[in-house]
Amino acid sequence: MNTMTIDSMAATRAGSEAILVQRHSPSSKISGFLMLLAFGAMLSMPWWAEAGTMRAVVELSCYIAVAQVWNLLAGYAGMVSVGQQAFVGLAGYALFVLANKFGVDPFLAVGLCVAVPALVAIPAYALLHRLDGPYFAIGTWVVAEVCRLFASTLDYLGASSGMTLRAISQYSPEAREFGTVWLAAAMLLAIVGGSYLLLRSRHGLALTAMRDNPVSAASQGVDVKRLRFLIYVAAAAGTGLAGAVYYLSALRISPAAGFDANWSSICIFIVMVGGIGSLEGPLIGALLYFAADRLFGRYGATYMVVLGVLTLMVALFARKGLWGLWAPYVDAPWFALRRRLLRSSSLHPTRPQSPT
Amino acid sequence: MQWLDALVQGLLLGGLYAQYALGMALMFGVMRIVNTAHGDLVILLALIGVSAATTFALGASAVLALLIPIAVLLGWLLQRLVLNRVLSADPLPSLIATYGLSIALQNLMLELWSADSRSLSGGGIEADSFAVGPIFIGVLPVLIFLAATVMSAGVDATLRFTRFGRSLRAAASDAEAASLTGVNPKRVYAMATALAVGMLGVAAVCQALRATVSPADGPAQLIFAFEAVIIGGMGSAWGAFLGAMVLGVAQSIGFRIDAGWGVLSGHLVFLAMLAIRPTGLFARRA
Repeated sequence: MNTMTIDSMAATRAGSEAILVQRHSPSSKISGFLMLLAFGAMLSMPWWAEAGTMRAVVELSCYIAVAQVWNLLAGYAGMVSVGQQAFVGLAGYALFVLANKFGVDPFLAVGLCVAVPALVAIPAYALLHRLDGPYFAIGTWVVAEVCRLFASTLDYLGASSGMTLRAISQYSPEAREFGTVWLAAAMLLAIVGGSYLLLRSRHGLALTAMRDNPVSAASQGVDVKRLRFLIYVAAAAGTGLAGAVYYLSALRISPAAGFDANWSSICIFIVMVGGIGSLEGPLIGALLYFAADRLFGRYGATYMVVLGVLTLMVALFARKGLWGLWAPYVDAPWFALRRRLLRSSSLHPTRPQSPT
Repeated sequence: MQWLDALVQGLLLGGLYAQYALGMALMFGVMRIVNTAHGDLVILLALIGVSAATTFALGASAVLALLIPIAVLLGWLLQRLVLNRVLSADPLPSLIATYGLSIALQNLMLELWSADSRSLSGGGIEADSFAVGPIFIGVLPVLIFLAATVMSAGVDATLRFTRFGRSLRAAASDAEAASLTGVNPKRVYAMATALAVGMLGVAAVCQALRATVSPADGPAQLIFAFEAVIIGGMGSAWGAFLGAMVLGVAQSIGFRIDAGWGVLSGHLVFLAMLAIRPTGLFARRA
């Protein structure tokens, strides 16, 4: 849709003046700079930060990653999943098995174990895509439960008591912290940076069209079915990566924790409260959830009641979350996703052309 | 012989699942939404029932008489306050709203009732059984099965033969066209949800009599109801009933093979059904 508008506008003006497409805005430049700064600070943490701070940052990175991936899945590709814990647990277990049983270096294993959730996602999608929207969601939960029950019955995986990452003992605590923080940084770069590049690309245009209306996107030539499949498998790998980094840091996994439905609750809360269908929303939501967890986590069940009610309220009254409440008033995107048309002669911007 | 026993016990267990599944099939058939808090409502009602029974020294039938109106009211409120605001072709809003509700309900129940397992006393009926040849059959599971059969027949007859059923089917196939012929979809939806949750009142009593309930049990009941509906085939009361039987038998046979395999075999039968016959056993055109 967007390319068509741009092309037709370019055609009408051809001859008189050329049209330039501008993608960055001052706000995206500033936030891009700040994000690079934060990334650099994260890389340098092993030289100045305490172990507890580093663990907290790794945890926050995992929340950002699972939420950003869930946002692509539910916000753009229109597949609501409440079973992402399947992929967190699968990758976590694959990491522990590779490292403990096959002697693979734990840090290398984090990269390798991502293949397991991706491979499981292929048959899972083949079955689940037959289910109607809301039933698809509950179906993903069944897949996660199947994984949990299998892990609970297999003695090889330590049955219901789970596994400990013994293989990590070959590294000193300093080396572990260093490796985990850098892996978490690489994961953020891959998932947040990857989502950004994906959305800037031709496929991003297709995804944005799907987000706004899958039926009309299909009528414009977007291969909705194929894109959904690819996003589902990529989301499984991305969620798995976050799970592997999380359990590399935690050093222990059990079926009840690795396949905990709370992983999906975290995704849903972060993305819905932050703002679904934008890259900014999950970042805001993750920071908010992380802060709320530190401040109010000790209130246990009462805190969870508040989170649940807040999610319900967002679904009822503010479907685009905090970012959706803010963005109409302050036009300052953090990511350079939109296309702005400029006449090369005057360099005066015409109206913005692309939704963000 | 132990397999025949597993089959019979599985069918009886299916009676309980049928009671959950009917409401879910009805709501999805009419509004194309899934209430993620379906299982948590069963548990909430069951816990209210258990507390009422101990506080006022009520018998099981008195608890049933108390819970059904509460359940109907809860269903009506759920529709009015939540579901009517999130109805759309996009599955996201209704899923997220009911998911949030589910988290809130689970934790609220945890606050009010603690994590303990509770159950309802049926005055000895839960221990009664009779022998058919070599198999012992519990009186209570048979009663639950009969209740499920009556409920399925009731829902089926309501959909087929009553004015309410006709307007339900009309609103289900095309809400706009139905409203042109004098059907008020919002009112029909509210009645459907009240009926669906009302049936959960019966299911709650059966669950609390037959087994135990604790605040975290809801999601499992949601998943069983969902599996029964998909195995049976969408949009038919008897489909949900039959799907519940298949699920019950699968779990019961799996449990005999290995105690850890009970619930898992139910899931595997569900996935196999999705692979072989995704429209379900009793598929019917809406």
